[in-house]
Amino acid sequence: MTASNGANAAQSRMQSRVQDRAPEMELIREAQSGSRAAFDALVRQYEQQVLRLALHLTGSEHDAEDIYQEAFLKAYRYLGNFRFECSFYTWIYRIVTNLCLDQMRRRKTRREDHAVVLDHSGGEIDLLASVSDERAFSNPARELDRKLMGEKIQGALGKLTPRERMVFELKHYQGLRLRTIGEMLNTTEETAKNTLFRATKKLRAQLAELR
Amino acid sequence: MNCELAHERIVTAAYGELPDEQIHELERHLLECAECRGEREQLHALKILADAYAVLEPEANLVARSRLRLDEALDALPPRGWLERFRQRARNGLASLTAAPLAASLLLLAGLGAGGLGGFRVAENRAERMAAQQLAQTARALPTAAPAEIANISSIVRQPNSGLVEVRYNQVIPQQIQGSMDDPAIRQLLMLASQNAASAGVRDDSVGLLAAECRTGHGCQATGIRDALMVALRYDKNVGVREKALKGLEPYVSQDQQVRNAVLEALLNDSDARIRTAAINLLEPVDADTSVRQVLHTVAHTDENPHIRTVSRQVLSQMPEIQ
Repeated sequence: MTASNGANAAQSRMQSRVQDRAPEMELIREAQSGSRAAFDALVRQYEQQVLRLALHLTGSEHDAEDIYQEAFLKAYRYLGNFRFECSFYTWIYRIVTNLCLDQMRRRKTRREDHAVVLDHSGGEIDLLASVSDERAFSNPARELDRKLMGEKIQGALGKLTPRERMVFELKHYQGLRLRTIGEMLNTTEETAKNTLFRATKKLRAQLAELR
Repeated sequence: MNCELAHERIVTAAYGELPDEQIHELERHLLECAECRGEREQLHALKILADAYAVLEPEANLVARSRLRLDEALDALPPRGWLERFRQRARNGLASLTAAPLAASLLLLAGLGAGGLGGFRVAENRAERMAAQQLAQTARALPTAAPAEIANISSIVRQPNSGLVEVRYNQVIPQQIQGSMDDPAIRQLLMLASQNAASAGVRDDSVGLLAAECRTGHGCQATGIRDALMVALRYDKNVGVREKALKGLEPYVSQDQQVRNAVLEALLNDSDARIRTAAINLLEPVDADTSVRQVLHTVAHTDENPHIRTVSRQVLSQMPEIQ
């Protein structure tokens, strides 16, 4: 009886997932047949997530904006090739992660320190300072500690390989499943897991002094 | 369980990816192994530290700016031509064959064979043609080329220590071709003209001929003529061209949903009342399609032209109710 209830629940979950995705599939089909309005609706649906990921990975509003632009133009150009074999979410993230990886590889050669990021007009924004600490006991000294710690984290993240950085970002900060990360990066869940393990090991070694 | 495996599992467990049965196994190991317990604590500390570099929501300004820039870039892209859409459809069709590996393999082999043979023939013919052209070009005295044939001068180089000047130039060579409407080359050129010709007259002529082919049901679908007419109906700036395209599509409104969609778009969006009226007349026999009913309903209420509103209402009233 319990097993049958479980099976029913799983089936209804799957049905509700399919139902949830139905309007999106319809939008994708319309966009594939040339509807700009449908494509715009898809952009609205994913733009926040795309910008959030690109901004956190690159640490630059300017780069995030470029990645947004390039990702959605690519999506528009190649939407006809999307054949519903994976979710649209995975597909668009795959485009974005590839662009971010390219950007990080380019940056690796320049070795920029992005504790302070640049906004659109070239002005400096301190990402860490803009993270408010709303706890009752927050005080300036604690804020300073937090800022310094954040800078060290950014420095340590910057020393990972682009792929390790990406897997850590998608797992730790974006909370994605390893299986999805594998799909996005065109690799297996096992490889994604090993990469995450390497990333945490390197980060721990670099941040040992903070503890 | 050895410590190396335990270290890996500590990471997967910390991120909620370790299966339940392995969690119990790991817990048992941790009870006995102080080093691995230390490893787990260190990982938890790392997770807390990493959160100091928080993920921020993008500012509204950044979102708006990015959206605006994307919109501009998308607006600047040319509308996808029929050829591109045809290729895309063909690619998708081929991809669906992966579900039938045998058929795909046979098709691939047949394609390779035909392609190889065709390529060989084409290369042979081209080589002959090029040889003939080269002969003709060398025979023609270059300085006698009429100025009208010269499109532009690409470079001028004076040879040092000599009185010679080397001028590189490009020529425009007009060509013509004659043939019946069954000739694939003629059809191809007419379809190109329907989209690319700068002159509205040329587009009008080409769309008129293609529409006549469609109305007589003469090889309209297989060669992509129907697609070309739909593109002309959607995007051509000249109302006469759009009108002819619409007439050419008439026989297919009832059977081809894509054609019906193009006509519905024209009814909703075309700036010219003549096109919108003609679209209503075309859609009249198609009462089984709910999208037709919806569009007619919208037009009956919102069209700026009172005549079109009245006609839409009349057509709607004559349609049987949906069961």
